[in-house]
Amino acid sequence: MDDSTIVCKCEEINLAEIETAIKSGAHTFDDIKRLTRCGMGPCQAKVCSNLVRQIISESLDKPLSDIRPPRMRMPLKPTRISALVGDEESSSVISVFSESAPKEGDEDHV
Amino acid sequence: MSNQYDVVIIGSGVVGSSIAFHLSESRQKEILVIDKDYPLSGTSGSTQAWVWVHNKTPSWYGELSMLSAELYPFLERKIGDVEYKRTGGIAPFFSESDRDSARRLAEKQAEVGIEIDVLNRDQVLEKEPALSPNIAGATFSKIDGNVNPFRLVELYIKAAKKNHVQFSFYNPVIAIKRNKGMFKVITKNDVFMAKQVIMAAGPWTKEVGKLLGVDIPVKQVRGQILVTEPLAPLIKHTIGGMRQADNGEVLIGYSKEEVGYDRRTTLDVIQDTAKMAVEYLPDLAKANIVRCFAGVRVIPNDGLPILGPVPTIDNAYIAVMHSGITLSPIVGTVMTELLMHGETSIDLKKLRLDRFNESNSYV
Repeated sequence: MDDSTIVCKCEEINLAEIETAIKSGAHTFDDIKRLTRCGMGPCQAKVCSNLVRQIISESLDKPLSDIRPPRMRMPLKPTRISALVGDEESSSVISVFSESAPKEGDEDHV
Repeated sequence: MSNQYDVVIIGSGVVGSSIAFHLSESRQKEILVIDKDYPLSGTSGSTQAWVWVHNKTPSWYGELSMLSAELYPFLERKIGDVEYKRTGGIAPFFSESDRDSARRLAEKQAEVGIEIDVLNRDQVLEKEPALSPNIAGATFSKIDGNVNPFRLVELYIKAAKKNHVQFSFYNPVIAIKRNKGMFKVITKNDVFMAKQVIMAAGPWTKEVGKLLGVDIPVKQVRGQILVTEPLAPLIKHTIGGMRQADNGEVLIGYSKEEVGYDRRTTLDVIQDTAKMAVEYLPDLAKANIVRCFAGVRVIPNDGLPILGPVPTIDNAYIAVMHSGITLSPIVGTVMTELLMHGETSIDLKKLRLDRFNESNSYV
Protein backbone atom coordinates (compact mmCIF):
# COMPACT_ATOMS: atom_id res chain seq x y z
CA MET A 1 0.00 0.00 0.00
CA ASP A 2 1.17 3.54 -0.63
CA ASP A 3 -0.37 6.94 0.05
CA SER A 4 -2.56 6.86 -3.04
CA THR A 5 -3.98 3.39 -2.42
CA ILE A 6 -7.78 3.62 -2.36
CA VAL A 7 -9.19 2.39 0.96
CA CYS A 8 -12.86 3.34 0.48
CA LYS A 9 -13.92 2.46 -3.06
CA CYS A 10 -17.36 4.07 -2.87
CA GLU A 11 -16.09 7.53 -1.96
CA GLU A 12 -12.57 7.10 -3.41
CA ILE A 13 -10.73 7.88 -0.19
CA ASN A 14 -7.05 7.00 -0.16
CA LEU A 15 -4.65 5.95 2.57
CA ALA A 16 -3.08 9.39 2.93
CA GLU A 17 -6.50 10.93 3.68
CA ILE A 18 -7.17 8.37 6.40
CA GLU A 19 -3.76 8.95 7.95
CA THR A 20 -4.23 12.73 7.87
CA ALA A 21 -7.50 12.33 9.77
CA ILE A 22 -5.80 10.14 12.37
CA LYS A 23 -3.02 12.72 12.73
CA SER A 24 -5.58 15.45 13.38
CA GLY A 25 -6.78 13.41 16.32
CA ALA A 26 -9.59 11.16 15.04
CA HIS A 27 -9.16 7.76 16.65
CA THR A 28 -12.30 5.83 15.72
CA PHE A 29 -13.75 4.72 12.40
CA ASP A 30 -16.80 6.93 12.80
CA ASP A 31 -14.72 10.01 13.66
CA ILE A 32 -12.50 9.43 10.60
CA LYS A 33 -15.60 8.89 8.49
CA ARG A 34 -17.06 12.31 9.28
CA LEU A 35 -13.82 14.04 8.29
CA THR A 36 -13.15 12.08 5.09
CA ARG A 37 -16.49 10.52 3.97
CA CYS A 38 -14.73 7.14 4.13
CA GLY A 39 -17.49 4.53 4.53
CA MET A 40 -20.33 6.90 3.69
CA GLY A 41 -21.06 5.55 0.21
CA PRO A 42 -23.46 2.89 -1.10
CA CYS A 43 -21.71 -0.05 0.62
CA GLN A 44 -21.80 1.73 4.01
CA ALA A 45 -18.31 0.61 5.07
CA LYS A 46 -18.83 -3.07 4.33
CA VAL A 47 -15.67 -3.08 2.20
CA CYS A 48 -13.42 -0.64 4.04
CA SER A 49 -14.37 -1.34 7.64
CA ASN A 50 -11.54 -3.73 8.49
CA LEU A 51 -9.00 -1.94 6.32
CA VAL A 52 -9.56 1.27 8.22
CA ARG A 53 -9.51 -0.53 11.56
CA GLN A 54 -6.12 -1.99 10.63
CA ILE A 55 -4.77 1.43 9.72
CA ILE A 56 -6.01 2.86 13.03
CA SER A 57 -4.53 -0.07 14.93
CA GLU A 58 -1.11 0.39 13.31
CA SER A 59 -1.09 4.20 13.58
CA LEU A 60 -2.05 4.23 17.26
CA ASP A 61 -0.14 1.08 18.12
CA LYS A 62 -3.22 -0.53 19.65
CA PRO A 63 -4.44 -4.12 19.19
CA LEU A 64 -7.00 -4.51 16.40
CA SER A 65 -9.47 -5.95 18.89
CA ASP A 66 -9.56 -2.54 20.66
CA ILE A 67 -10.65 -0.69 17.50
CA ARG A 68 -14.43 -0.43 17.33
CA PRO A 69 -16.13 -1.21 14.01
CA PRO A 70 -18.25 1.56 12.44
CA ARG A 71 -21.84 1.98 13.52
CA MET A 72 -24.10 0.05 11.17
CA ARG A 73 -27.53 1.49 10.45
CA MET A 74 -30.75 0.45 8.84
CA PRO A 75 -31.55 -0.43 6.10
CA LEU A 76 -28.19 -2.34 5.84
CA LYS A 77 -28.44 -2.50 2.08
CA PRO A 78 -29.87 0.07 -0.35
CA THR A 79 -33.65 -0.08 -0.17
CA ARG A 80 -36.26 1.70 -2.27
CA ILE A 81 -38.19 4.43 -0.55
CA SER A 82 -41.41 2.97 -1.95
CA ALA A 83 -40.62 -0.22 -0.01
CA LEU A 84 -40.07 1.75 3.19
CA VAL A 85 -43.34 3.67 3.01
CA GLY A 86 -45.45 1.89 5.56
CA ASP A 87 -48.80 2.09 7.22
CA GLU A 88 -47.28 3.01 10.53
CA GLU A 89 -47.91 6.57 11.57
CA SER A 90 -45.63 8.40 13.90
CA SER A 91 -46.81 11.60 15.46
CA SER A 92 -43.18 12.60 15.88
CA VAL A 93 -42.76 13.29 12.15
CA ILE A 94 -43.90 16.89 11.69
CA SER A 95 -44.00 19.54 9.00
CA VAL A 96 -41.70 22.51 9.33
CA PHE A 97 -44.48 24.82 8.22
CA SER A 98 -47.06 23.70 10.75
CA GLU A 99 -44.55 23.86 13.55
CA SER A 100 -43.38 27.40 13.13
CA ALA A 101 -46.35 29.21 11.72
CA PRO A 102 -47.61 31.69 14.31
CA LYS A 103 -51.02 30.92 15.72
CA GLU A 104 -53.85 33.32 16.22
CA GLY A 105 -53.13 35.52 19.20
CA ASP A 106 -49.40 34.76 19.36
CA GLU A 107 -47.45 37.75 20.54
CA ASP A 108 -43.74 38.33 20.51
CA HIS A 109 -41.91 38.30 23.79
CA VAL A 110 -40.81 41.85 24.30
CA MET B 1 1.07 22.95 27.60
CA SER B 2 1.09 24.66 30.98
CA ASN B 3 -2.53 23.62 31.73
CA GLN B 4 -3.27 27.26 32.60
CA TYR B 5 -5.74 29.10 30.33
CA ASP B 6 -7.64 32.33 30.09
CA VAL B 7 -10.67 30.52 28.67
CA VAL B 8 -11.72 26.87 28.74
CA ILE B 9 -14.58 25.94 26.41
CA ILE B 10 -16.40 22.70 27.18
CA GLY B 11 -17.68 21.19 23.96
CA SER B 12 -16.12 21.20 20.50
CA GLY B 13 -19.25 21.04 18.41
CA VAL B 14 -20.32 23.77 16.05
CA VAL B 15 -21.04 26.20 18.92
CA GLY B 16 -17.89 25.63 21.01
CA SER B 17 -15.63 25.54 17.96
CA SER B 18 -17.13 28.73 16.56
CA ILE B 19 -16.63 30.54 19.86
CA ALA B 20 -13.03 29.25 20.03
CA PHE B 21 -12.31 30.47 16.51
CA HIS B 22 -13.89 33.91 16.88
CA LEU B 23 -12.33 34.43 20.31
CA SER B 24 -8.88 33.49 18.95
CA GLU B 25 -8.94 36.01 16.13
CA SER B 26 -7.39 38.77 18.26
CA ARG B 27 -4.86 36.26 19.70
CA GLN B 28 -5.13 37.88 23.10
CA LYS B 29 -6.38 34.89 25.06
CA GLU B 30 -4.98 31.46 25.82
CA ILE B 31 -7.85 29.16 24.89
CA LEU B 32 -8.49 25.46 25.41
CA VAL B 33 -11.41 23.46 24.01
CA ILE B 34 -12.27 20.16 25.70
CA ASP B 35 -14.51 17.50 24.18
CA LYS B 36 -15.69 14.25 25.74
CA ASP B 37 -15.35 12.57 22.34
CA TYR B 38 -14.28 13.92 19.00
CA PRO B 39 -15.80 16.85 17.07
CA LEU B 40 -18.87 15.82 15.03
CA SER B 41 -19.46 12.70 17.11
CA GLY B 42 -22.53 14.35 18.66
CA THR B 43 -25.25 16.68 17.43
CA SER B 44 -23.15 18.75 15.01
CA GLY B 45 -22.33 15.63 13.00
CA SER B 46 -25.88 14.26 12.83
CA THR B 47 -27.87 17.03 11.18
CA GLN B 48 -29.22 18.12 7.82
CA ALA B 49 -27.42 21.42 8.54
CA TRP B 50 -29.97 23.85 7.21
CA VAL B 51 -29.12 27.48 7.70
CA TRP B 52 -32.77 28.17 8.28
CA VAL B 53 -34.34 31.52 9.06
CA HIS B 54 -37.68 32.34 7.62
CA ASN B 55 -40.14 30.68 9.92
CA LYS B 56 -38.23 30.98 13.16
CA THR B 57 -40.55 32.71 15.61
CA PRO B 58 -40.92 34.95 17.58
CA SER B 59 -39.69 37.37 14.96
CA TRP B 60 -36.76 38.64 17.03
CA TYR B 61 -35.49 35.06 17.03
CA GLY B 62 -35.96 35.01 13.25
CA GLU B 63 -33.99 38.24 13.10
CA LEU B 64 -31.12 36.73 15.11
CA SER B 65 -31.09 33.76 12.72
CA MET B 66 -31.09 36.12 9.72
CA LEU B 67 -28.13 38.09 11.09
CA SER B 68 -26.24 34.84 11.53
CA ALA B 69 -27.06 33.62 8.00
CA GLU B 70 -25.81 36.98 6.70
CA LEU B 71 -22.43 36.31 8.32
CA TYR B 72 -21.80 33.03 6.49
CA PRO B 73 -20.23 34.50 3.33
CA PHE B 74 -17.79 36.51 5.48
CA LEU B 75 -17.05 33.48 7.61
CA GLU B 76 -16.13 31.50 4.49
CA ARG B 77 -13.61 34.13 3.54
CA LYS B 78 -11.95 33.65 6.90
CA ILE B 79 -12.04 29.88 7.47
CA GLY B 80 -12.48 28.49 3.93
CA ASP B 81 -15.12 26.72 1.86
CA VAL B 82 -17.78 25.18 4.10
CA GLU B 83 -20.10 24.59 1.13
CA TYR B 84 -22.51 27.25 2.34
CA LYS B 85 -25.25 27.70 -0.20
CA ARG B 86 -28.01 30.29 0.10
CA THR B 87 -30.45 28.14 -1.83
CA GLY B 88 -33.60 29.83 -0.67
CA GLY B 89 -35.98 27.94 1.58
CA ILE B 90 -39.42 26.49 0.84
CA ALA B 91 -41.81 25.35 3.59
CA PRO B 92 -44.74 23.65 1.85
CA PHE B 93 -48.28 23.41 3.18
CA PHE B 94 -50.95 21.08 1.91
CA SER B 95 -54.16 22.79 2.92
CA GLU B 96 -55.60 26.03 1.58
CA SER B 97 -56.59 26.87 5.15
CA ASP B 98 -52.89 27.29 6.00
CA ARG B 99 -52.55 30.26 3.67
CA ASP B 100 -53.80 32.71 6.31
CA SER B 101 -51.22 31.68 8.85
CA ALA B 102 -48.57 31.82 6.10
CA ARG B 103 -49.58 35.43 5.42
CA ARG B 104 -49.50 36.26 9.13
CA LEU B 105 -45.99 34.79 9.34
CA ALA B 106 -44.89 36.88 6.35
CA GLU B 107 -46.28 40.06 7.94
CA LYS B 108 -44.65 39.40 11.30
CA GLN B 109 -41.26 38.57 9.81
CA ALA B 110 -41.36 41.59 7.47
CA GLU B 111 -41.26 43.79 10.58
CA VAL B 112 -37.71 42.61 11.25
CA GLY B 113 -36.64 42.58 7.60
CA ILE B 114 -37.14 38.90 6.73
CA GLU B 115 -38.69 38.78 3.27
CA ILE B 116 -41.17 35.94 2.81
CA ASP B 117 -43.25 35.21 -0.27
CA VAL B 118 -46.42 33.21 0.18
CA LEU B 119 -46.55 31.07 -2.94
CA ASN B 120 -49.48 29.34 -4.61
CA ARG B 121 -49.21 25.87 -6.12
CA ASP B 122 -48.06 27.04 -9.55
CA GLN B 123 -45.42 29.31 -8.10
CA VAL B 124 -44.09 26.48 -5.93
CA LEU B 125 -43.94 24.10 -8.91
CA GLU B 126 -42.22 26.74 -11.00
CA LYS B 127 -39.45 26.91 -8.41
CA GLU B 128 -39.31 23.17 -7.77
CA PRO B 129 -40.95 21.14 -10.56
CA ALA B 130 -40.33 17.87 -8.70
CA LEU B 131 -42.55 18.84 -5.77
CA SER B 132 -45.95 17.22 -5.57
CA PRO B 133 -48.90 18.95 -7.27
CA ASN B 134 -50.86 18.11 -4.12
CA ILE B 135 -49.07 20.96 -2.38
CA ALA B 136 -51.39 23.91 -1.82
CA GLY B 137 -48.63 26.45 -1.41
CA ALA B 138 -45.54 27.33 0.53
CA THR B 139 -43.71 30.07 2.33
CA PHE B 140 -40.48 30.99 0.58
CA SER B 141 -37.51 33.12 1.50
CA LYS B 142 -34.23 33.76 -0.26
CA ILE B 143 -32.34 33.94 3.03
CA ASP B 144 -32.45 30.20 3.84
CA GLY B 145 -29.81 27.72 2.79
CA ASN B 146 -27.58 24.96 4.02
CA VAL B 147 -23.98 24.14 4.78
CA ASN B 148 -21.75 21.07 5.03
CA PRO B 149 -21.61 20.52 8.81
CA PHE B 150 -18.49 18.33 8.63
CA ARG B 151 -16.52 20.96 6.73
CA LEU B 152 -17.89 23.73 8.94
CA VAL B 153 -16.75 22.26 12.25
CA GLU B 154 -13.47 20.96 10.80
CA LEU B 155 -12.60 24.40 9.40
CA TYR B 156 -13.62 26.26 12.58
CA ILE B 157 -11.16 24.02 14.43
CA LYS B 158 -8.39 24.33 11.81
CA ALA B 159 -8.66 28.11 11.86
CA ALA B 160 -8.70 28.15 15.66
CA LYS B 161 -5.62 25.93 15.79
CA LYS B 162 -3.85 28.32 13.44
CA ASN B 163 -4.57 31.00 16.04
CA HIS B 164 -2.97 28.79 18.73
CA VAL B 165 -6.13 27.45 20.34
CA GLN B 166 -5.45 24.13 22.09
CA PHE B 167 -7.82 21.17 21.85
CA SER B 168 -8.20 18.14 24.08
CA PHE B 169 -10.35 15.33 22.63
CA TYR B 170 -11.72 12.07 24.06
CA ASN B 171 -11.42 13.73 27.42
CA PRO B 172 -14.65 14.10 29.41
CA VAL B 173 -14.88 16.73 32.13
CA ILE B 174 -15.44 15.02 35.47
CA ALA B 175 -15.55 17.91 37.92
CA ILE B 176 -15.23 21.70 38.04
CA LYS B 177 -14.06 23.40 41.23
CA ARG B 178 -13.53 27.03 42.19
CA ASN B 179 -10.00 27.70 43.38
CA LYS B 180 -8.68 31.19 44.26
CA GLY B 181 -10.85 32.92 41.69
CA MET B 182 -9.97 30.35 39.04
CA PHE B 183 -11.84 27.32 37.72
CA LYS B 184 -10.16 23.98 38.22
CA VAL B 185 -11.44 21.76 35.41
CA ILE B 186 -10.79 18.12 36.20
CA THR B 187 -10.96 15.82 33.18
CA LYS B 188 -10.36 12.14 32.60
CA ASN B 189 -6.78 12.75 31.46
CA ASP B 190 -5.77 16.09 32.94
CA VAL B 191 -6.43 19.03 35.24
CA PHE B 192 -6.76 22.49 33.71
CA MET B 193 -6.97 25.91 35.32
CA ALA B 194 -9.06 28.63 33.70
CA LYS B 195 -10.02 32.23 34.41
CA GLN B 196 -13.22 31.86 32.41
CA VAL B 197 -15.32 28.82 31.50
CA ILE B 198 -17.84 28.50 28.68
CA MET B 199 -20.37 25.67 28.65
CA ALA B 200 -21.10 24.71 25.04
CA ALA B 201 -21.82 21.04 25.51
CA GLY B 202 -25.03 20.80 23.45
CA PRO B 203 -27.22 17.94 24.70
CA TRP B 204 -24.80 17.34 27.61
CA THR B 205 -24.95 20.92 28.88
CA LYS B 206 -27.36 19.96 31.65
CA GLU B 207 -24.76 17.54 33.08
CA VAL B 208 -21.95 20.07 32.72
CA GLY B 209 -24.14 22.65 34.46
CA LYS B 210 -24.58 20.26 37.39
CA LEU B 211 -20.78 20.21 37.84
CA LEU B 212 -21.05 23.95 38.50
CA GLY B 213 -24.21 23.59 40.53
CA VAL B 214 -26.35 25.33 37.92
CA ASP B 215 -29.62 24.01 36.52
CA ILE B 216 -29.72 24.39 32.75
CA PRO B 217 -33.33 24.03 31.55
CA VAL B 218 -32.85 22.07 28.32
CA LYS B 219 -34.35 18.96 26.76
CA GLN B 220 -32.85 16.25 24.56
CA VAL B 221 -34.91 15.76 21.39
CA ARG B 222 -34.15 13.06 18.84
CA GLY B 223 -34.47 13.54 15.09
CA GLN B 224 -34.23 10.79 12.48
CA ILE B 225 -32.95 11.29 8.95
CA LEU B 226 -32.97 9.16 5.77
CA VAL B 227 -30.11 9.44 3.27
CA THR B 228 -30.59 8.48 -0.38
CA GLU B 229 -27.98 7.26 -2.82
CA PRO B 230 -26.53 10.11 -4.93
CA LEU B 231 -29.24 11.27 -7.35
CA ALA B 232 -29.23 13.53 -10.38
CA PRO B 233 -30.14 17.11 -9.46
CA LEU B 234 -33.71 16.90 -8.16
CA ILE B 235 -34.23 19.91 -5.89
CA LYS B 236 -32.42 23.24 -5.85
CA HIS B 237 -33.84 24.77 -2.68
CA THR B 238 -33.64 23.81 0.95
CA ILE B 239 -37.12 22.45 1.59
CA GLY B 240 -38.59 22.30 5.09
CA GLY B 241 -37.95 18.58 5.58
CA MET B 242 -35.24 17.83 3.04
CA ARG B 243 -32.30 19.02 1.02
CA GLN B 244 -30.00 17.69 -1.68
CA ALA B 245 -26.27 17.77 -0.95
CA ASP B 246 -23.50 18.63 -3.43
CA ASN B 247 -22.77 14.96 -4.07
CA GLY B 248 -26.39 14.29 -5.03
CA GLU B 249 -27.63 12.51 -1.92
CA VAL B 250 -30.94 13.74 -0.54
CA LEU B 251 -31.29 14.09 3.24
CA ILE B 252 -34.89 13.65 4.39
CA GLY B 253 -36.61 13.98 7.72
CA TYR B 254 -38.05 16.21 10.36
CA SER B 255 -39.07 14.45 13.56
CA LYS B 256 -38.96 15.21 17.25
CA GLU B 257 -38.98 12.63 20.04
CA GLU B 258 -38.05 13.05 23.68
CA VAL B 259 -36.36 9.74 24.42
CA GLY B 260 -33.20 10.86 26.21
CA TYR B 261 -29.80 10.41 24.62
CA ASP B 262 -30.81 7.49 22.43
CA ARG B 263 -29.52 7.64 18.88
CA ARG B 264 -31.19 4.53 17.55
CA THR B 265 -33.42 4.80 14.50
CA THR B 266 -36.87 3.24 14.68
CA LEU B 267 -39.04 1.65 12.02
CA ASP B 268 -42.15 3.75 12.70
CA VAL B 269 -40.32 7.04 12.17
CA ILE B 270 -38.41 5.68 9.16
CA GLN B 271 -41.66 4.55 7.52
CA ASP B 272 -43.43 7.80 8.26
CA THR B 273 -40.46 9.81 7.00
CA ALA B 274 -40.41 7.75 3.78
CA LYS B 275 -44.09 8.57 3.38
CA MET B 276 -43.39 12.26 3.86
CA ALA B 277 -40.60 12.03 1.27
CA VAL B 278 -42.97 10.66 -1.37
CA GLU B 279 -45.75 13.08 -0.45
CA TYR B 280 -43.37 15.98 -1.04
CA LEU B 281 -41.40 14.55 -3.97
CA PRO B 282 -43.20 11.66 -5.71
CA ASP B 283 -40.08 10.81 -7.76
CA LEU B 284 -38.28 9.82 -4.58
CA ALA B 285 -40.34 6.60 -4.45
CA LYS B 286 -37.85 5.09 -6.88
CA ALA B 287 -34.75 6.26 -5.01
CA ASN B 288 -32.71 4.01 -2.76
CA ILE B 289 -32.07 4.77 0.89
CA VAL B 290 -28.53 3.82 1.89
CA ARG B 291 -28.65 4.85 5.52
CA CYS B 292 -30.82 6.19 8.29
CA PHE B 293 -29.33 8.07 11.19
CA ALA B 294 -30.47 9.83 14.30
CA GLY B 295 -29.14 12.80 16.19
CA VAL B 296 -30.15 14.25 19.53
CA ARG B 297 -30.76 17.97 19.55
CA VAL B 298 -30.62 20.13 22.60
CA ILE B 299 -33.69 22.35 22.92
CA PRO B 300 -34.00 24.87 25.76
CA ASN B 301 -37.34 24.54 27.54
CA ASP B 302 -38.74 27.68 25.91
CA GLY B 303 -37.22 26.84 22.51
CA LEU B 304 -34.91 29.85 22.43
CA PRO B 305 -31.10 30.02 22.73
CA ILE B 306 -29.45 30.39 26.14
CA LEU B 307 -26.50 32.71 25.68
CA GLY B 308 -24.40 34.88 27.96
CA PRO B 309 -23.04 34.92 31.49
CA VAL B 310 -24.18 32.48 34.15
CA PRO B 311 -25.71 35.00 36.57
CA THR B 312 -24.81 33.15 39.76
CA ILE B 313 -21.16 32.38 38.95
CA ASP B 314 -18.60 35.03 38.02
CA ASN B 315 -16.67 34.28 34.83
CA ALA B 316 -18.85 31.33 33.85
CA TYR B 317 -20.71 31.54 30.54
CA ILE B 318 -23.18 29.43 28.61
CA ALA B 319 -24.00 28.97 24.94
CA VAL B 320 -26.59 26.30 24.29
CA MET B 321 -29.25 26.25 21.60
CA HIS B 322 -31.19 24.31 19.03
CA SER B 323 -30.09 25.44 15.53
CA GLY B 324 -26.40 25.72 16.41
CA ILE B 325 -25.53 25.39 12.72
CA THR B 326 -27.65 28.40 11.75
CA LEU B 327 -26.56 30.45 14.75
CA SER B 328 -22.87 29.55 15.13
CA PRO B 329 -21.45 32.59 13.26
CA ILE B 330 -23.41 35.12 15.33
CA VAL B 331 -22.94 33.20 18.57
CA GLY B 332 -19.15 33.10 18.09
CA THR B 333 -19.14 36.82 17.29
CA VAL B 334 -21.32 37.87 20.22
CA MET B 335 -19.59 35.64 22.78
CA THR B 336 -16.26 37.10 21.68
CA GLU B 337 -17.57 40.63 22.24
CA LEU B 338 -18.83 39.59 25.66
CA LEU B 339 -15.57 38.00 26.79
CA MET B 340 -13.27 40.64 25.30
CA HIS B 341 -15.24 43.79 26.10
CA GLY B 342 -17.96 42.81 28.55
CA GLU B 343 -20.69 44.15 26.27
CA THR B 344 -22.31 43.02 23.03
CA SER B 345 -23.58 44.63 19.83
CA ILE B 346 -26.81 42.67 20.22
CA ASP B 347 -28.87 42.88 23.40
CA LEU B 348 -28.65 39.49 25.09
CA LYS B 349 -31.32 40.21 27.67
CA LYS B 350 -33.88 37.84 26.15
CA LEU B 351 -31.27 35.11 25.79
CA ARG B 352 -29.89 35.11 29.31
CA LEU B 353 -30.15 32.06 31.54
CA ASP B 354 -31.89 33.99 34.31
CA ARG B 355 -34.98 34.57 32.14
CA PHE B 356 -36.15 31.18 33.40
CA ASN B 357 -36.21 32.46 36.99
CA GLU B 358 -38.73 35.18 36.26
CA SER B 359 -41.31 32.45 36.33
CA ASN B 360 -44.49 34.22 35.29
CA SER B 361 -43.14 37.14 33.32
CA TYR B 362 -41.93 34.78 30.61
CA VAL B 363 -44.59 32.48 29.24
